[in-house]
Amino acid sequence: MKVTLERSELVKALAHVHRVVERRNTIPILANVLIRAGKAGLELKATDLDLEIVESVPAEVKSQGATTVPAHMLYDIVLKLAEGAQVQLETAGDRATLLVRAGRSRFTLQTLPEGDFPDLAAGELPHRFTLAAKDLKRLLDKTQFAISTEETRYYLNGIYLHAIDDKGAKLRAVATDGHRLAQVEIPAPKGAAGMPGVIVPRKTVNEVQRLLEDAGEEVAAEVSPTKIRFTLGKTVLTSKLIDGTFPDYARVIPLGNDKTLVVDKGEFAAAVDRVSTVSSERGRAVKLSLSDGKLTLSVTNPDSGSATEELEVDYGAEALDIGFNSRYLLDIAAQIEGEKAELKLADPGSPTLLRDKETAGAIYVLMPMRV
Amino acid sequence: MTVRQLPEAVVNRIAAGEVVERPASVVKELVENALDAGARRIEVVLAGGGIGLVRVTDDGSGMSAADLALAVERHATSKLPDDDLFSVSTLGFRGEALPAIGAVAKLSIVTRTPDADGASEILVEGGKKHALRPAALGPGTRVEVRELFYATPARRKFLKSERAESAAAIEAVRRLALARPDVAFTLVAEDRAPVTYAAQAHGAEGRHLRMADVLGAELRDNAVAVEGTREDVAISGLAGLPTLSRANSLAQYLFVNGRPVRDKVLLGAVRAAYADLLHGGRYPLVALFVSLDPREVDVNVHPAKTEVRFRDPGLVRGLLVRALKDALAQGSRRSASTGAERFSSFARRNGGGAAGWRRSAAPLHGFAEESQAAFDSLNVPSADVRTPAALPADTLDRPLGAARAQVHETYIVAQTEDGLVLVDQHAAHERLVYERLKAALERDGVARQMLLVPAVVELDPADASALVERANELSGLGLVIEAFGPGAVLVREVPALLGETDAAGLVRDLAEHMAEWDSTLPLERRLLAVASSMSCHGSVRAGRRLKPDEMNALLRAMEGTDYAGQCNHGRPTYVELKLADIEKLFGRR
Repeated sequence: MKVTLERSELVKALAHVHRVVERRNTIPILANVLIRAGKAGLELKATDLDLEIVESVPAEVKSQGATTVPAHMLYDIVLKLAEGAQVQLETAGDRATLLVRAGRSRFTLQTLPEGDFPDLAAGELPHRFTLAAKDLKRLLDKTQFAISTEETRYYLNGIYLHAIDDKGAKLRAVATDGHRLAQVEIPAPKGAAGMPGVIVPRKTVNEVQRLLEDAGEEVAAEVSPTKIRFTLGKTVLTSKLIDGTFPDYARVIPLGNDKTLVVDKGEFAAAVDRVSTVSSERGRAVKLSLSDGKLTLSVTNPDSGSATEELEVDYGAEALDIGFNSRYLLDIAAQIEGEKAELKLADPGSPTLLRDKETAGAIYVLMPMRV
Repeated sequence: MTVRQLPEAVVNRIAAGEVVERPASVVKELVENALDAGARRIEVVLAGGGIGLVRVTDDGSGMSAADLALAVERHATSKLPDDDLFSVSTLGFRGEALPAIGAVAKLSIVTRTPDADGASEILVEGGKKHALRPAALGPGTRVEVRELFYATPARRKFLKSERAESAAAIEAVRRLALARPDVAFTLVAEDRAPVTYAAQAHGAEGRHLRMADVLGAELRDNAVAVEGTREDVAISGLAGLPTLSRANSLAQYLFVNGRPVRDKVLLGAVRAAYADLLHGGRYPLVALFVSLDPREVDVNVHPAKTEVRFRDPGLVRGLLVRALKDALAQGSRRSASTGAERFSSFARRNGGGAAGWRRSAAPLHGFAEESQAAFDSLNVPSADVRTPAALPADTLDRPLGAARAQVHETYIVAQTEDGLVLVDQHAAHERLVYERLKAALERDGVARQMLLVPAVVELDPADASALVERANELSGLGLVIEAFGPGAVLVREVPALLGETDAAGLVRDLAEHMAEWDSTLPLERRLLAVASSMSCHGSVRAGRRLKPDEMNALLRAMEGTDYAGQCNHGRPTYVELKLADIEKLFGRR
């Protein structure tokens, strides 16, 4: 194998694929990136056995071939090469090494045979659809914060992506950690309607979010009950799905809450942030005292003091005291795009519904704290 | 095959399997008999690890010839006068030991009552009784057991080395000696010098003297006295400081009404009391005596009688934990003084070491002294308190004294009236912060995060109902559960402090722990673990220079904090070096 290509192209592709590679591996070849020179150019592939990213890079191929080299090391090397340099990758005939050359720099890297590189046999992915990159970004960004990190309930360690039929076909993403829940939907793209409900793991979500940063307008998605694939321009990400049943989340969404509170989102978040300064590091509870047109936020920490702040709000129902974890409130406030946030409350022991006053499509449920 | 009644010899051997496990159990049974006979002096002789010979001689009431013949029969005893198993006041009562021993060894008993003319002797060999014959002996009884398990070679194979068996037998005597300070014990074993524990007066003082004899000076100097009474249950004894710990629980001497036991309720209570004072895997040294109405405790649980059953385990447990915690809280500002000993033994071991050290140091003097001088500043203490000349003299009489310097930016050197104290600043401050967080948890309760979807946890029905009974207590700790059918509980709220936690795992842990130890320790432990890691991050690290005022403030705060003698990982926070120890180091004493 012998190829020559632009440093910047190689850096960009490696930046995408090398992140999948774990820093510590028990199987040596998983630390490597597969480099394959074909007629169309160079193809890079990395995997952690659950997730695989393949990216093609334009290159001048002098002779075809393939090999694998340590991914992080190759990335670090290429990153440090002079900008605008031409990088030449060449396998040394009989010895298991790859020669990396750029300007006056030469590196010889140990390789492992490409035949040993694992393949994430994706199989048939029958459901295909195309959606706008910004829509996918919205689905992931607004639910990602609620993904559970608790390993025993593995089926909550991802975003539940599924199609529903609720006043027209919709594609919906849901995540919950048992304390709060986020639900975001977009009109279902053509071809998504019949797709199975799948749980996309956290690491995959993070990688897709990162790839979306440099993606074009459109993303193609392909889904089977066990795998999902996103194609973003020249990058193809294939991932296993979490094999589990997402709980029936619909029954925890309180649709009958009758006390409506409308707050200015910016003011509200800033006030929560301010009063929670006095609370201790963990289990920071903020108390919301609601009365006619007025919201009082208060935090008491017997060790250091207390804080209160009053906000003028739109609230007409009977007076109510309710406590929340301030971090959860801030997390949700950060997802709300409009100026006004609407909270639907019932009582201090029942879930509260939060949403953007103006734009529909995203709702959040938060369980209160006893304070 | 037809059913038949087993011959008596076989029955006895089967029974012997439960009562006589190893030489130590023979020793225990025989010494208990001697104690029950009202002996004032007991002599125990061991040979061949107790396998070759166990001889127990006492000056107790002895037996008449007729009683002696009956004593080696099964279920024959003089100790249950009114056949009431519910108020056993003697150590033995089952009438099993002598026939069981006779069934597996060569047993010889010589006995004489004080008013009899002469002694009688009986021999039992492998279950076969010989006729009574006259013998010579003063008032009392001498029991000899030779060639243990010669009749059951299979059992003999399971014995450990003679040395190990001998150690176990000696341990059995020590336990009984602890229980009865009023009786003199002499212990003769081949591989060590004979030991005599002199008879002590009844009561607490005698007990303390006996404990010092048996357990040695280490426990005596590094323990606090434990006292407590609730209703009819009284507890007394010694609790070792947490810095004096062992890798196993063998050094936990527990007694119920003078009977040495290894009871789960009591061991569990000890564990709970030391929970946040010791590393996991370290066990405290304790010698604790529980006394209560014999009717409140059932000792007839197992032939070896090391387990007992309390009528009200919760009461005993609660009392024990409270009494231990109170005693430790008072004693906790102390840390084990063993460091000083280690130090002096080091000096002794290296008797000629000082000279050797000087030799290797000498060539250094040959180096250009100017260049050395450049490094001088490295050798001065990190902080020096001498400069602000007038130290308030009164701090010298405080337990931790007055800070004199900080060395290696980690240790505070303080001077007390009769010695000097080295304090590990990080460990000490960590404990202070931890105790503050703990107090806050207790004062304010635990904030609870409600769950969107209550978690259903399937459990054993008994476990589930035990948990639900404690629901009130658990909600105080931030965990709200409800019954959910016979074999499950519903978790509605969890402690907010734990963040996103595995509620099901927590509840299962709790249920298991509760079944075994009857406590909510796992939940408390998790909460405290969070507090503990918070305190570790929130405390002064090693490597930070402290100003003299800061050091003194730390010492004063330690004096005012419970359990300040060790950090919450169980390491000591300070070591005290007595002036006397220092003088020893320099040969002044």
